[in-house]
Amino acid sequence: MGYFGKVAGGFVSLLSGMSVTFRQFAKTVFGRKAVTLQYPKELPKLAPAYRSAIKLIRFDESNSHDCVACKACERICPSYCIKLSGGKVEGIKKKRVAMFEMDFALCSLCGLCLDVCPTDTLEYSKVYEEAGYNRDWRVDLLAEFRDYEDEFVAKQRVIEEKAAAEKKAKADAAKKAKEAAKAAKEKAAAEAAEAQPSETQPPEEAS
Amino acid sequence: MPIAAGLIMGMLTVNVLMLVWAERKVSAWIQMRMGPTEVGPFGLLQTLADMLKLISKQLITPSNVDKPLYHLAPLLAFAPVVAAVALFPFSQDTILVQNDYGLLFVFAFGGVAVLAIFMAGWGSNNKYALLGAIRSVAQNISYEIPLILSALSVVLVVNAMSPTLGFGEGLVETNGLDLSHIVMAQDQHGIWFVIFQPVAAVIYFISALAETNRAPFDIPEAESELVAGFHTEYSGMRFSLFFFAEYTNMLIVSMLAVVLFFGGWDGPVLPGPLWFFLKSYAVIFVMMWVRWTFPRLRFDQLMTFCWKVLIPLSILNLLVTAFVITVLGQ
Amino acid sequence: MSSDSEANKDAEDGEVYSLNMGPQHPSMHGVLRLLLDLRGEEVVKAKPVIGYSHRAHEKMAENRNTLQFLPNTSRVDYLSGMIYNLGYCQAIEKILEIEVPERAIFIRVIANELNRVASHLLWFGTFLLDLGGITPFLYSFDDREEILDILDQVTGSRLTYCYGRFGGVTWDVDENFLARTTAFLARIRDRLGMYKQLVTDNIILRERCTGVGVVSTALAKSYGVTGPSLRASGVAYDVRKAEPYGGYDRFDFEVPVLHEGDTMARFHIRIREIEESCKIIEQAIKGIPEGDILPKKMPKRFKLPEGEFYFAVESARGHFGMYIVGDGSDIPVKLKLRTPSFSNLSAMPETLAGTMLADTIAIVGSIDVVMPEIDR
Repeated sequence: MGYFGKVAGGFVSLLSGMSVTFRQFAKTVFGRKAVTLQYPKELPKLAPAYRSAIKLIRFDESNSHDCVACKACERICPSYCIKLSGGKVEGIKKKRVAMFEMDFALCSLCGLCLDVCPTDTLEYSKVYEEAGYNRDWRVDLLAEFRDYEDEFVAKQRVIEEKAAAEKKAKADAAKKAKEAAKAAKEKAAAEAAEAQPSETQPPEEAS
Repeated sequence: MPIAAGLIMGMLTVNVLMLVWAERKVSAWIQMRMGPTEVGPFGLLQTLADMLKLISKQLITPSNVDKPLYHLAPLLAFAPVVAAVALFPFSQDTILVQNDYGLLFVFAFGGVAVLAIFMAGWGSNNKYALLGAIRSVAQNISYEIPLILSALSVVLVVNAMSPTLGFGEGLVETNGLDLSHIVMAQDQHGIWFVIFQPVAAVIYFISALAETNRAPFDIPEAESELVAGFHTEYSGMRFSLFFFAEYTNMLIVSMLAVVLFFGGWDGPVLPGPLWFFLKSYAVIFVMMWVRWTFPRLRFDQLMTFCWKVLIPLSILNLLVTAFVITVLGQ
Repeated sequence: MSSDSEANKDAEDGEVYSLNMGPQHPSMHGVLRLLLDLRGEEVVKAKPVIGYSHRAHEKMAENRNTLQFLPNTSRVDYLSGMIYNLGYCQAIEKILEIEVPERAIFIRVIANELNRVASHLLWFGTFLLDLGGITPFLYSFDDREEILDILDQVTGSRLTYCYGRFGGVTWDVDENFLARTTAFLARIRDRLGMYKQLVTDNIILRERCTGVGVVSTALAKSYGVTGPSLRASGVAYDVRKAEPYGGYDRFDFEVPVLHEGDTMARFHIRIREIEESCKIIEQAIKGIPEGDILPKKMPKRFKLPEGEFYFAVESARGHFGMYIVGDGSDIPVKLKLRTPSFSNLSAMPETLAGTMLADTIAIVGSIDVVMPEIDR
């Protein structure tokens, strides 16, 4: 009897398994609940934290990036994919990067360069379709910033000069204030000296 | 005759195209995906594209194959199944080859397929193929027994229930082995034999799955173990012949199931052949449904299941049927 | 030696033939090569050949400083990437005695356990795929997609996370994350019921797995098998309970143990572990405090003191240990990764002898090996 029981029990388990797949089948056909995303007709929704190729941020105030070519990202990169050079630009005190190239065939999107950047000028882009036709994947991160660079330098010079002038004015004002204070002090001392009558001077009224 | 043969070939080709499309769509829907949708409306032309690709592939012949066996195997797999289709009654008057022993012939053609599989496996000069072929031969030979025994139960019922068929002048003595007589017997009483022989129906269905090497009995072509089993070394058109043979075999066993258990061409309103095909495709749908639900049986479990479960049950079924018929006959 | 004479006997036997299940194989094991000696369908000898996925992680560690090694940690075992990444951070924190803020501890536990559930779901799907049942693979991957999307919202990556930093985590989680994770817990509990009906109760699966590939307790202990494979053989060893780290001592969870040691036991243990991980995540979400995710003052360079250090975490596959040798600079002298799959696979040759060919796939699948972790 155990034999028949085992056969019957096994058969029932098979039928109940079939009911599960049939339920999914009905859900997909009649409920239209397929989980397929029909790419490329539909694009996936990318999370805000989605990691795609690294790029420089264009800040609103300065309309350009803020990279000072400190090379912290180049030193920290574990895949050795960052190459940059730059330095002092004529006319302004701030350093600017002149060449910034990243090889995304090597980049593992670990985010260590974002962490160490002192000016927080790197971020992930949100490009979903990153495909190419060859293995050369070196990207010039400054491509979109180059034509604005001269204007940026000019603006920066104006800002720096203004800042320098303000600083100078403040320094002058401080110096003047100091001198004025000194002069006032001298004057006060002189007045104090005048208040005391002098021995050599005869009195005005005599006859 | 040539027209009929051409019609049969055309029907089978369309059938294979439809079945492959149906397999992909049904499996996709069970797995919450869409299946082919791009090529043609609803992806209907996808199989055509695949067939064109297979035809255009280079026919690679591995070195050291046993040339006669290797080259003959696909043809030998393909020919019997096409021949077997000619024996089925699509409606009361539509039958290509009228044969008094149609049932026996269908089983005989099924047996030839075993030979083709073994030729493919041995001739391929590949250990994986040989393993697959050995398993397949053992499996096919073993599962033919419950297949035939369950069909025999139906034959007994036919002969018992309807000693004569037809009306007036056309009265004939029933021949249980004649496929059209089996259907006419169900037609006469208005009851499908699945009601009288449920156990036989289930045993037949399971054995049919094993005969066509479908999951859960697809050890001979187990993908995750043997790469592709007995047709590992075949590419291009030769592979598509095996493919064709497998899907046509599926159609044959389900058409036989419809004839034996589900009333053949019987049905209201729609014409006979249409009902016949609708019912066959319903049985094929259940075969696909079973394939995508269950894992595979291990080979020795497969043999144990056949010899220790299916054969005793089918013999028991036959004895009980005979006993009931004898008792009721008195 | 006796094994040589036995091998010669088999060779002369004439019945034994060798079959190579090469590194490229349609089964889901990764690049594992098994040299099998078969007599008919029965395996006489099995020899795994590894090394096809060697990427020299340990050598890379010797050429990069401690901070630069972070992206590598996820890629050693990409299915438990979060556990390995955060485990490495915890190892360095222990060595350098950096204190981790409370909120970061809770976030780490949630991320770890989500990763564990994702890994077990993937194992479930691929194990059934090896056995021939193709559909549960699709269902379990649908569930796994939800976890990957949740972690994608926070970290930006789906599989190989670089989320941990020494002292905490990179980005904070928000209400959306917690709500979505809670919804996911309800969903996975419901789905586990469906998997039980479709898979666990299925007689074909039970016949394939019960009594197959028995790893006895003594064998498991002698080869250093850890993780669910060890717990299925009767030893209740879990690093989270034995040597608590990263806040796990605050949560109430069980370590499931079974004693049969066969494939079915390993299957049941992993399903139970998914349920236990859900419990932990629930408690963590309830108790997560407000606060920082990184300490206020952090050193710029993380120099390792001189000496040898060892730290271990419980990954989805077992006991993952890191042995670090420092010499005062921030580049380690030696970093050895003790990966659980290596030891788990070493128990295979003895287990596989005497089984059938179809069982080989089932057993190696049930051990849950990830080849890149073995080859590093």
